Amino acid sequence: MNPRADPDGEAEASGAGCAEAVVSAGPARPAARAIGVLAGFREPVVLVLLLIAFFTYISGKPLDGVLMVIVAVGLAWDAGRRARARGGVSDAGQAVGALELSLERGRAHGRWRLLGITGMLAGGAVYAGVVGSFSRYSWPATAGIIGLGTVVVLIGWHGPLRHRRVAGRLPLTGALAWAVVLVFGCLWELAALLLQPSITTGSYAHPTISTLTDPVLSTWPGRSVLLAAWLAFGWYLAER
Amino acid sequence: MNSHEITIVGYLAVLGGIATLQVLATRTRVPVPSLGNLLTRAMRSRTGRVGILVAWAWIGLHFFAH
Repeated sequence: MNPRADPDGEAEASGAGCAEAVVSAGPARPAARAIGVLAGFREPVVLVLLLIAFFTYISGKPLDGVLMVIVAVGLAWDAGRRARARGGVSDAGQAVGALELSLERGRAHGRWRLLGITGMLAGGAVYAGVVGSFSRYSWPATAGIIGLGTVVVLIGWHGPLRHRRVAGRLPLTGALAWAVVLVFGCLWELAALLLQPSITTGSYAHPTISTLTDPVLSTWPGRSVLLAAWLAFGWYLAER
Repeated sequence: MNSHEITIVGYLAVLGGIATLQVLATRTRVPVPSLGNLLTRAMRSRTGRVGILVAWAWIGLHFFAH
């Protein structure tokens, strides 16, 4: 298994604090284990994923909804399990150990890293070309997206691919400015969606991003370019 | 200006806002974090990391999957 820096310490402790309050570390009893898992459902991200699953389901994409539910339940279970296990080795100790291993590994395998990046770029180009050749919403395209999405989420589940120095507290004003822009973008898209004739029928007068990208995604090159961009952004996130 | 154009102007404003904040973060001393720093911070916890990665996967599903 690839030893990677796990920077969960501080933030994870605050995020899973509710689970810790309910379940203390100790011998695993079925009832305590069940309570721990349920406590994981109190994580805000888990609730957001469940909401996404619900709205995705009612908007006519049941498969997406089921996948979101699976991830939400897995994340809740994981949060509860980690809260129970927190009585063992400290997160700080784990993070330092993982960082030292990561740095040593980085020095020893610098050359292999370059080869790996070249291979991934070639693989990404092939993936974008092949999956982009399938028409939208077809089962081959669906399998390609689900397969890759699952791999990246599983890779990211265990931590970033390489250590990054995390800046201290973010400037409040700047963070608020980002929040305003991003939330406005989400609300603008939501408004366009709700102003359509129905939730599944596009509108020229109030186009959503999906409607605006339809002409591009109707062609093979367009699909491949956007798939490559989606893939690159996923890798960028997995390294965060 | 009709509603189609107004809607598009809204999207362009969001893109412009993102670009402006990123330039402020990387080219000036204005106390604004870059998008990368923001994401790194948000992905510091496992739930934040998995949540953002799943959101990314959902985008792919939304645009391409059945």
